[in-house]
Amino acid sequence: MPFKNDDYLPSYEELTVPELQVTSSVLRAGAHHFGKYCDEQSKEFMLCLQEEKDPRKCIAEGKEVTRCGLEFFGKVKQNCYSEFTKYFECIDHSDRQMSLKHCRTSQALFDNCMKEKLGQDRPDLGYFASRRIHHTERPKPQLAPHPLPERIPDPPNFKTAPNPKFERPVTGYN
Amino acid sequence: MASKGYKQEMPPPAGYGPIEWAKQIPKKKMSGITQFGLFIGFTGLSWVGFYYQKRRHCKDDLEMRDARLAVLPLLLAERNRLLLKQIRENRDEENELMKNVDGWVTGTLWGKPVYHNIRDRWIDPSADEYFAHCKYWERMYTVHDKLNH
Repeated sequence: MPFKNDDYLPSYEELTVPELQVTSSVLRAGAHHFGKYCDEQSKEFMLCLQEEKDPRKCIAEGKEVTRCGLEFFGKVKQNCYSEFTKYFECIDHSDRQMSLKHCRTSQALFDNCMKEKLGQDRPDLGYFASRRIHHTERPKPQLAPHPLPERIPDPPNFKTAPNPKFERPVTGYN
Repeated sequence: MASKGYKQEMPPPAGYGPIEWAKQIPKKKMSGITQFGLFIGFTGLSWVGFYYQKRRHCKDDLEMRDARLAVLPLLLAERNRLLLKQIRENRDEENELMKNVDGWVTGTLWGKPVYHNIRDRWIDPSADEYFAHCKYWERMYTVHDKLNH
């Protein structure tokens, strides 16, 4: 591995958090509402990754995203368990891509429940695919300085230098 | 006649019909204007149909893209934690493995760094380094895990 012992790597304790143990159909079913619920955290994390280009420096933001996801899915489980179960089971059996288009009836039920219990509308079409502006308190990262090697000495000025005298090399065959 | 033992074939009583010697031209069912009109009409209708179908497909695709983008931070956060954990495990493993070798520095080749990385940028470890302490089939199963789903 290209990581020396004095290179910074987060410890196991830092990296161990309660993970979201859900399957893909649940993630797909809750994606839109999750994205809206955890909008700030997600944007902060993605901006961090985009700016730093270093997963070591975005551990805290990533943990925040996972915590928010756990909170969101916990709330859904508390409030809209039956509707959500119906919805994600429908999505699980819709097609290979787990398309949302075959599940409009159960989606409407779930959306109504979310509106009643959590007071959250489904985000508009194209909300996550469009550009969004995010204001952050995190300072813009600066790359470490790049020390260049020392400048090699200039060549001598050949115009003023004396003409080198030709000397026949001694080879023994002259 | 019966005494002859055969029957002579004769023309029909009203005689044969007239011989068709003129060219038989089939009757025209549609004029050229009707044919072109039908073609243009059907094509135009299908264009309208295609327009609405394409709009619907674009909407569905956009919705799916939204869904994928919305959960991307969640998946990336978990993936990055797993990646860093595995890198740390690999480093510990290398320390353990090479502790009896004199002159070996972990993360380097006999003290020479792997990358020329002056600005301390993050470099994703190559697959060979990431799976260095795995068995061959463990690596194959991990890389081709997507084929099982």
